[in-house]
Amino acid sequence: MLQKVLVANRGEIAVRVLRACGELGVRTATVYSDVDRSALHVRYADEAYHIGPAPAKDSYLRIDKIIDVAQKCGADAIHPGYGFLAENPEFARACQEAGFIFIGPPPEAISAAGDKLAARRLACKAGVPVIPGTYEEMRDDELLAEAERLGYPLFVKALAGGGGKGMRLVHTSEELRSALASAHREAESAFGNGALYLEKVIQGARHVEFQILADMHGHMIHLGERECSIQRRHQKMVEEAPSIAVDKGVRDRMGKAAIKVAQAAGYVNTGTIEFLLDQEKKFYFLEMNTRVQVEHPVTELVTGIDIVKEQLRIASGRKLRYKQGDVQFKGHAIECRISAEDPFNNFLPSIGRITALSEPTGPGVRVESGLYEGFEVSLYYDPLIAKVIVWGETRGEAILRMRRALSEYRIVGVKTTIPFHQRLLDHTNFIAGQIDTTFVEERFSLVEKEAEHAEVAALAAALLSYQKRQKAIAMIPSRKVERESPWKRAGRWEAMQR
Amino acid sequence: MRYAVTVGDKAYNIEVGGDREIEIDGVPHQVDIQNIDGYSLFSLLLDNRSYELIVEREGQQFRILLEGEMYAVSVTDEHARRLMEAPARVPSGEVAVKAPMPGLVVAVPATLGQEVKIGQGLIILEAMKMENELRAPRGGRVKAIRVSPGQVVDKDQVLVVIG
Repeated sequence: MLQKVLVANRGEIAVRVLRACGELGVRTATVYSDVDRSALHVRYADEAYHIGPAPAKDSYLRIDKIIDVAQKCGADAIHPGYGFLAENPEFARACQEAGFIFIGPPPEAISAAGDKLAARRLACKAGVPVIPGTYEEMRDDELLAEAERLGYPLFVKALAGGGGKGMRLVHTSEELRSALASAHREAESAFGNGALYLEKVIQGARHVEFQILADMHGHMIHLGERECSIQRRHQKMVEEAPSIAVDKGVRDRMGKAAIKVAQAAGYVNTGTIEFLLDQEKKFYFLEMNTRVQVEHPVTELVTGIDIVKEQLRIASGRKLRYKQGDVQFKGHAIECRISAEDPFNNFLPSIGRITALSEPTGPGVRVESGLYEGFEVSLYYDPLIAKVIVWGETRGEAILRMRRALSEYRIVGVKTTIPFHQRLLDHTNFIAGQIDTTFVEERFSLVEKEAEHAEVAALAAALLSYQKRQKAIAMIPSRKVERESPWKRAGRWEAMQR
Repeated sequence: MRYAVTVGDKAYNIEVGGDREIEIDGVPHQVDIQNIDGYSLFSLLLDNRSYELIVEREGQQFRILLEGEMYAVSVTDEHARRLMEAPARVPSGEVAVKAPMPGLVVAVPATLGQEVKIGQGLIILEAMKMENELRAPRGGRVKAIRVSPGQVVDKDQVLVVIG
């Protein structure tokens, strides 16, 4: 087994990896930027090393500094988490060259997945259906000609894409022409590579992805699917397993296809093969993610397999402990991503200090978070601050349990997406599972519901106004006095007794 | 103390008799409100029904998060109302739309004198590499536009005034 793992990340995922290490008796080290000195991952790890100022490009994205820390602390492996350097083949290579185990796939597999066209060709070659579109880099005039052949509507996507950057939906050649110019620019500035490709729009499709586990000895299995159709601006917000649209037959076929793609890429460790699933249950390869994903806990809850611990075991050279037939699915799991964004104001990012925090607990509830009271949500990093994951015997129970869990969750000091999730869980289409990737943006609104507690809110506001007025008139004893330290009081009392 | 309170398009007359007695539109209730975190988390018992509220306050304007719903509440007490009513029509109820964070003004869809509805986009502000639409917190007329596209603004800088 590994002796010491350096976790090169922050926030909830760093804590998640540290926990897995703790359970396996692996010693841990981590890194932090100026603003993360008191962060949970720093306090949770056995050792923590400062690596620079708050902006990620000066700290969490600095390959040289992270390799330095690994050498200094005597780690034998590095876990990249997700985001930051997790899907950077240069980083995986730098780890290997410096003699560290990179906990993830080989750099070649990361490169193949990161080049979306290479990944599309790979899936084709493996005999897996791919969304109709282009497969080679093309000039704009060639793309325009291809578009006529494919037919509209189409997605313009960035070859080095991710996070919806450089992505455009176009309905006519006019739109395509203007979209190409702006998408080139956006992709160039986001990825340093302006190349684009086209994909036909699959109407009413669901996002269904498969979790893969692969060891270094050629064994590979899938852990079933996750449905992630609840998205906004191409960012997932809610994930669940299993998918309501996937029966055993579809699962077997898609799972086999996922394994074929991963094998063609020479995949090792954990990864995800993403598909679109249309209304006729036809599926199309979308892309390959070469990291542990934000939504991995839903798979853990329905399979009972700890994916992060498996990552560590695989990286240490062990054989997979499961065959495909050992993987059984039980019940239903849902994850809600909690972001520091204001759902009542167009999901504007919200920053500030957490003044009160009370996390949900109780049967079937799991929270993954990097939050604590006093934590400062800054604009330097991703707005994802916590995840709530629930398990239920059925999808219905899971939805009711998630409602209960979210009603317990108090994050005070920043605005969060909790109210969005609460409304979503009440929506008849969501409850019926009638969702696709356009659901949130086209058929869901936060504004329409009748305000049930307006009177209570009015009353509270009047009462608070009244209290403030009374306070202004008569000074009331300050909280400080009430909270005087018992040691101080004892000291004073003692002094008086002398 | 008598208050005129509006929540969205609903209006209430509330009489606060003390810390625990309150009348809303003539109906008496027993209340108790306690702060929990020293800032914005409150526990409210209303006729023994228990609520938790997250309250943001700016003068007489409140934003209250309650059971997953956000309520924009405006409170006017009787003194303030008398002051407002006495001299001939002092302009009132102006709302300043401020920058929630430092950023770059990308576009200003609002025009001076325009009648806007609640939720209508006024300013597009780029921050954290994302374009964010700032919307009207309530309906009214655009009384002032203080910024123009291309301008860099600080947090809390007033961008648009609605009256």
